[in-house]
Formats: sequence, structure tokens, C-alpha cells
Amino acid sequence: MSGSSSTPPSSPPAIEARELTKVFPLQWSKGYMVAVDKVSFTVNAGEVYGLIGPNGSGKSTTMKLVLGLMAPSLGTTKVFGLSTSDVRARSEIGFLPENPYFYKHLTGAETLRFYGKLCGLRGRSLQERIGELLELVDLEHARDRRLAGYSKGMLQRIGLAQALVQRPRLVVLDEPTAGVDPIGSREIRDLILRLKQEGISVFLCSHLLEQVQEVCDRVGIIFQGKLRREGPLDELTAIENQTEILLQEASPALISKIQALIQAEGADLLSLGRPRTTLERLFLDEVERGLADARSAGVHSAEPSPPPRP
Amino acid sequence: MSVPNHAPMPGRPVPPMFSPGRIWTLAAATFTQLVRMRTFYFLLFFAVLVFGMSNVNLLYTAEQQLSTIRGTSFGAMWLFAWLFAVTATAVVIPRDIEDRTLYTILSKPVPRVEYLLGKFFGVLLVITVALGAMLLLSGLVLEFRKAGLIAETRSYLEQSPDLTPADIQGQLDAISSEGFHPRLFTAAWIILLQAAVMAAATILVSTFASSSLFTIIVGIAFFLIGHGHRIAVDYWSEGGATNNWLAWAAKVVPDFHIFNVHEKIVAGSTASPLVMAEITAYAGVYCVVYLLLGWYMFSDKEF
Ligand SMILES: Nc1ncnc2c1ncn2[C@@H]1O[C@H](COP(=O)(O)OP(=O)(O)OP(=O)(O)O)[C@@H](O)[C@H]1O
Ligand SMILES: [Mg+2]
Repeated sequence: MSGSSSTPPSSPPAIEARELTKVFPLQWSKGYMVAVDKVSFTVNAGEVYGLIGPNGSGKSTTMKLVLGLMAPSLGTTKVFGLSTSDVRARSEIGFLPENPYFYKHLTGAETLRFYGKLCGLRGRSLQERIGELLELVDLEHARDRRLAGYSKGMLQRIGLAQALVQRPRLVVLDEPTAGVDPIGSREIRDLILRLKQEGISVFLCSHLLEQVQEVCDRVGIIFQGKLRREGPLDELTAIENQTEILLQEASPALISKIQALIQAEGADLLSLGRPRTTLERLFLDEVERGLADARSAGVHSAEPSPPPRP
Repeated sequence: MSVPNHAPMPGRPVPPMFSPGRIWTLAAATFTQLVRMRTFYFLLFFAVLVFGMSNVNLLYTAEQQLSTIRGTSFGAMWLFAWLFAVTATAVVIPRDIEDRTLYTILSKPVPRVEYLLGKFFGVLLVITVALGAMLLLSGLVLEFRKAGLIAETRSYLEQSPDLTPADIQGQLDAISSEGFHPRLFTAAWIILLQAAVMAAATILVSTFASSSLFTIIVGIAFFLIGHGHRIAVDYWSEGGATNNWLAWAAKVVPDFHIFNVHEKIVAGSTASPLVMAEITAYAGVYCVVYLLLGWYMFSDKEF
């Protein structure tokens, strides 16, 4: 599962954060608050790392520290072995901030051109890259519309395209699926998986735990600025002393036989029942079915239905 | 997955530490931003003003009429230039912070000083284009009005028998000299220089100010102090109170009287190349100092 095995051991980690700490002074009193408290973690090259935690736990602050938008009060962070204040490091990073907003007066294509030029892209290669990215995030139809008229999900997608413009080796995504509908959010998940296949490291945070579970190799759980748990997803979620059996078309007789066997062996049967699909799955299935219905209805109205076969 | 088309480019060139291309990209974006905020509409007011002035001819001699058109249009250009430099600069950076556009810009390989320079040159670009348009417009109106006045005066003078053709020509030449003259370019240049100093000072203020309104107020106060500069210095030195602190304060804010030369140029005198070079250097030094201070303030600012 982990993509780190495919990268040579010599390549430095995508992110190496050591004892990152950020203290904010409080505005109207002498106090201060510790937003990020001695957080250490490593995102290996080619890995997808998910940071999860409740609101206000310090996820966005950690990302800004990694990007060098904020200076840490203590600790260090390196991107591919380089300090984030180094321009070279930043040309390897693509960033999607939370609730992104861009220049409203620019169109989708102009936005990508602007960010592409900032990364030193020019001319034909930039032009081609813009087309590629608009296709990737499915915004070709809105290419020449101003961002003032983009919906939240569209802004999120143009934000993703912007992050990828210079083909960075590391992508930092702050809640990439916030405000995006389930279909769009599944597309973003697929995109992240695709980036991973191409060897790009991803550092993301999200409140959609199912999605984090689907895409991440490693997860960190942050709460009140402290990293509580950290490690490969499989290890974190596996319950060592339990085993799951999933059967299809099992007769009641077979089930009672199994139950008897379990009892005979002295193990505990913890649960028995029909597995439930997730709400997300259900929603997606319904929408997909609706889309298919609409498509077939559209075909019928456009052309006369064939006569019934004799 | 067949071709990894988003994979990093092999052998990515190291981005330069300082790139005029990036500054230009940022300046052009600022220019578009300001233009799409419809800032060029004020040019309509300017046109109405100049055309209006060109039709006022009560009590004035032909020469006075032309010099009034010149004075009014350059007065409007001057007012526009410095006021726009303050307001536009004060709006442009806080807006990026509010919109969080700054995050995405600064997370690209863009050194912060380039961001500030991009904003500075973007605002100056708008002012330059606007001043150019106003200069063109007032030049056209001046020449058009001059032609009309010369024709009128000639037919009037030719009726009086005492005047020799040389006399008539002398009078017509006097009118002619009040029309458009290349020296007006130097006046526009000085106006631009003053606007540049104002823009640089406003950038400095907006790196620590908490709101655009505060920045604008400080910017305008700065302008007024710059104009009261000489008066203040004279007053204090008469009172014998020239202590070090005041001497420093007097250096922090430029003496805007130096830029008032543009009024004299519009009225008819010419500035020598040496004087022009001096004024340009004076403005340049202040711009550089303010931008360096702004860079210092901005370099470890957090958003
Ligand atoms: N610039 C700032 N000044 C003062 N306090 C701040 C600043 N930025 C963040 N904080 C505080 O730091 C803490 C962590 O904020 P952060 O934005 O990192 O949370 P988060 O985990 O991203 O939350 P969310 O899930 O809501 O996005 C919060 O308590 C917040 O109030
Ligand atoms: Mg956040």
C-alpha cells in the first residue's frame, strides 16, 4: 500500500517537521495560546499523509508552518531537505489553502496563467499546461468565466489546478473537499490517488475521515496542538485481536453451524448481521442511478423509441 | 496509468532568487486588478473638466485661456496621481490578505520583496497610463483651442490698419507659444515621481497598518506633512529648536516643495536637465528607502 517502497532510500523526505511549535500572543491580554505544540512528523517522498483533528486543533497552522507562511516559534521544518524559506523548496510545493479565493476579476484560464508565470512557466508549455489542468479538474467549460461567478466547488477545483501548475513534487491540501458535493469530493479523492501513483507526495487535512482512510498511507491525529497518534494507517486502524468474516449468500443453517463452531472453540462472537453500506455510498449510488435514468430518458425523447420486437 | 503527465519535470531549473519576470507578472496582475475595478472611469471626469475649461473664455485674453487650460488639466493630473497612488496602494495589499490570495502567491517561489515591488510597479503602471492619456487629451484640447484662437485673432487683427504684418505675427506667435510644448512632458514626469514616492510610502504603511482606511489616512497625512515640511523646518530653526530628533524627522518625510516645480513648468518656465536629474534622484532615493523599510516590515509578517 505504501508508495515509499518505490522511491530510492536516498531521496530526502517530502516533509520533515521537528518539534514544530507555534505560539500566538492573545490580543487583549498578556496571555498566549499554543496553537501547535512540539509536533514532529515525516512525510516520505511519494506518500499521502493525512492530518486529522477537530476544529481549531492546529491543522492549518501546521500547514502554514510547513509552507513558511508563518515562522515557527520553535522547531524546524524541511521540504525535500531544503528550508521552506528557500525559493527552490517552494517551487516543489503546491498549496491549496482552506476556502481558497483568488482574484475574482480573472477567468479560470487567466488564474492558472498567473500562477504558472509566477513559477517561471512561459509560452506554449504554459498554454498546454493550462489546458491539461482545466481538463483534469473538469473546468474547461468555465475556462473563460470570471472567478467571481464560480461556485464553491469550482473555486476548490481551480485551487487544486493552481496548486499543480508547476508540477510540484509535494502538494499541501488544506481541506480539499470542504464544500464540495459527494461526487466532486470523490473526484478529488481519485485525483489524489492519481497524484500518488505518479509519485507525488501529498500532505492533506480533512474532516472526512472515510476519505482520509481511503487515500492516506499515514495519518496523524492532532488535538489541541499536540500530535496524539501518528503512524501508518493500516497499523492505526487494525484491531489486533479481532477478525472479520464477510459471507455472501449464506444460509441460516450455515450461520448456525458457524456460531456453534465459534462457541465450541471458545471464541466470542461480537457481532452478527448485515453489513451496512455507508451513507456516502448510498448517496452516490442514488445520484448515479438518477443520472443513468435521466440519460436514458434523454435518449428516448430525442429519438423515437424502436418499435417493440415481434 | 500510462504516461504520468503530472509527474515532476526532470531536472527542474533552479528558480532565480530575483526575477524581473515575476515582478512583471505581479505588476501586470495588479494593473488588471485596478483596471477591472473601473478606475479608468475618472478619465471621463477629466475629459469633461478639460473640455469645459476650453469653452470658458470670459474676460480672458487668448494667452490666458490657453494657460488656464494647461493649469487646470495639470492640476487635475497632479491631484489624481498622488491621491490614486495612496488609495490604490492602500487597497491592493490588504485585499490580497483578506482574499487569502497572498497565501497562494507566497507559497509559489515568489520572494516577498518581489511581491511588494510587483504591487508598487502595478500601481505606477496604472498612473503612468492614466497620466499619458490625460497628457494626450489635454494636448489635443490645447492645440485645437490654439488653432481656433489664432484664427480668431488673425481675422480680428487684420482689420486694424496700423498693424504691420510683423506685429500681427508677433502677437500670433505669443499665442502659439502658449499651446502644447514638449516641456509639459517634464511636468508630467515630476507628477509621476511624486506619485511614486507616495506609492512607496503607502506600501510601507500598509505593511504594518491593520486596515485600508488607516493606511489612506496616514498616507494623506504624510502628504500634508511633506508639504508643510519647509514651513515646519523654517519655523523650528527660527525658534532655535533644531535638535537631532527634528533633523531626523525632517529627513524621513521628503520635502514635497521640490516637486512643485511642475507648476512653474506648466506656467512657462523650463527646468534644466540638471534640475530634472536632481528631482528624479531625490524621488528615487525616497522610493528605495521606503520600499526597503517595507520589505523589512513585510519579510517576517505572518498571515
Ligand atoms: N493568526 C492567528 N492569531 C491568533 N491565533 C490563531 C491564529 N491562527 C490560528 N490561531 C489559533 O490557533 C488555533 C489553531 O487554528 P487552526 O486554524 O490551525 O485550526 P484548524 O485545525 O485548521 O481548524 P479548522 O478545522 O477549523 O480549520 C486556533 O485556536 C486558532 O484560534
Ligand atoms: Mg483549518
